[in-house]
Amino acid sequence: MNSSLEKQLNLLDYALASLWRRKLKNLGVMGVFAAVICLIASFQFLTASLTATAEELLAEAPEIVVQKMSAGRQEALPLGYLSRLEGLHGVRGAVPRIWGYYFNETTGANYTVLAVDPARMPGNSRLLQGIEGSLPAGEGEAVLGSGVAADLELAGRSAFSLFRPDLSLKPFAVTGVFRPGTELLTADLLFTTPAEARDLFAIPDGLVTDLCIYVANPAEIGTVAKKIAALLPDTRVVTRPQISQTYRVIFGWRSGMASICLLAALAAFVILAWDKASGLSVEERREIAILKVLGWQTGDILLLRCWEGLVVAGLAWLIGCTAAWLHVFLLEGALFKPMLLGWSVVRPELHLLPAVTGGDLLLVFALSVVPYLAATVIPAWRAAIIPPDSAVR
Amino acid sequence: MDTREEMIVLDAVSKVYNRGRANEVVALREVSLTVAAGEMVCLRGASGSGKSTLLSIIGCIFPPTSGRAIIAGKPLSRLPDRFLTVHRRGHIGFIFQQFNVLPELSVLDNVTLPLLPLGIGPTERRRRGGELLARLAIDHRANFPAGQISGGELQRVAIARALVNDPPIILADEPTAHLDSRLSLEFLEIMSGLKGAGKTIVIASHDQLVTECPALDRTFDVRDGRIDVS
Amino acid sequence: MRPALVFLLLLLLLGVVDGVLYRQAGIRRVDWLQALAPAAGVATGLGLTDLCLATEARYTRHPAVTDFLVPFMDHPGGLEHFPSGSFWAAPSSFQRGVRE
Repeated sequence: MNSSLEKQLNLLDYALASLWRRKLKNLGVMGVFAAVICLIASFQFLTASLTATAEELLAEAPEIVVQKMSAGRQEALPLGYLSRLEGLHGVRGAVPRIWGYYFNETTGANYTVLAVDPARMPGNSRLLQGIEGSLPAGEGEAVLGSGVAADLELAGRSAFSLFRPDLSLKPFAVTGVFRPGTELLTADLLFTTPAEARDLFAIPDGLVTDLCIYVANPAEIGTVAKKIAALLPDTRVVTRPQISQTYRVIFGWRSGMASICLLAALAAFVILAWDKASGLSVEERREIAILKVLGWQTGDILLLRCWEGLVVAGLAWLIGCTAAWLHVFLLEGALFKPMLLGWSVVRPELHLLPAVTGGDLLLVFALSVVPYLAATVIPAWRAAIIPPDSAVR
Repeated sequence: MDTREEMIVLDAVSKVYNRGRANEVVALREVSLTVAAGEMVCLRGASGSGKSTLLSIIGCIFPPTSGRAIIAGKPLSRLPDRFLTVHRRGHIGFIFQQFNVLPELSVLDNVTLPLLPLGIGPTERRRRGGELLARLAIDHRANFPAGQISGGELQRVAIARALVNDPPIILADEPTAHLDSRLSLEFLEIMSGLKGAGKTIVIASHDQLVTECPALDRTFDVRDGRIDVS
Repeated sequence: MRPALVFLLLLLLLGVVDGVLYRQAGIRRVDWLQALAPAAGVATGLGLTDLCLATEARYTRHPAVTDFLVPFMDHPGGLEHFPSGSFWAAPSSFQRGVRE
């Protein structure tokens, strides 16, 4: 075997034997390191997966959503705006929607109540693919998400009631439930007809919550959006690219949870680096001096220390990333899920699209292994320049 | 006329530690000596006389502050650390005062330590180390942790390690300091055998057993950094 | 066996495990994409704009279409929803696009 390769293997042998001689300490360091890497990697995998899942599921979100704003808050939009937009060049369709939140005081759950005329929606033929049962059409009919059905404890019943704002009861009849597998979109959804939603929320005729605008040429979305904003200056116009962008950045590293993970990781690295840099023991100094007298060069000692660092950091990275994968995709991110869902009462299953790229792994590597190796090199250099004559004296 | 090759040549060699500072120490003052190949010599002197410094210069651990030092044909004076190390591992075998084995490593691993950075594989290392241990009659301890063997066996391990690269020069610094007279005599017997095999041997010691060893060719008295030949 | 070889075997073992997980993820991804069709149909048919993750507040349930003041509720002293709110980054990206 080539002697320079054999030399590296010899140094690796020595490094491994040296690490094994203090196995408790080194396994402990590696374990902590792997746990920190698992934390960072879990966050990265979870958010990458949520982003990819959102990209797939929301690829056909409405091209433009128009909301009315007043004093910085969203308020009901006059139905008259619809006719002004339908005639706009580039718009192929405009659909009003009524939606809002219903708070179930008994259980503390928030439902999203959504009402739209499916016949007016493009792609409405695919809607039934996600529903077991039939679409709501008549008085009081509704299709429920699995979380809502569970929260209402229907248990085979198909009738339930909700409170209107004046505390009178509004009865509903379940015509269908959203299929399992659609939970990431529909878990808290109560889909009904616009008339029923108006009745439930006491929204007068002539007002809707927002408008879904569909554009003839997707490349013209921005242009049409600008026209709408100019035509209706008291509205807020959200485009599909902005919706995608939201889900690309929303789980970014500037979010609070990411900062907490990073800070924890940094604290751990500082502790590890301090441990490494806190000086050599008498035995270590003696060992290095002896090796140097026996013909080991400064570069050999440096390489030895680098191999030690690489073994610990490399193994920790591999184990940490594997554990993160299992945590996110087999255990549904059990550690983060309570924080992600917070005080929500309706809690969907997190069956996420496995979407880990080489870039994610490299990012975790750069945030973990590289700082650790850097923290290893400086004290390694200090060790390597120990004069050999200290072994002779 | 002695026509043997001059293995060690020191010409007006001085060594000053912490030069120019308040704690400046002159360890060697214009020391000159020559040792021919195959000679066995002793550096005799009390603690602090400069023996260890002299041994370190001969052992290519550091160059002299001034003067000429030529070891195994190579002048040391302007040699950078890297080349000193290369020269040392090819030409010098060191036996330390306290043997300086690594107690957690096995005997065989200790003996073959100098071979690791040379890129010599485990099979060849086992062969070389095993041969030396057998020659010194401690091959039965090859796999024992070095921290668990006796003083006499440690001495042999140290000798085996010094010989593993087959260096022409063997240096020993107070090798009998921690040994009884029986083991000291055993050590001198081994050194005598190595001399017979053509090695050049320099022993730094103030032990009478060593200084009066019949195998010695010459003794240099080291006193206050200077040298007398007797 | 020399330690370096044991280490390399360990790396190989981890590599095999990771390879199996990666392969399994690839299969799962195909299955998941097939199972995606009904969900995508619902998203298209109802014009949905957000994933149903944290349902406790408007801005955690509908981050893509919520207005900027929502995290502060309807009162200046209103608290953010923790911990789910800490998952969401500040919506600086909302500034781009139409408002330019």
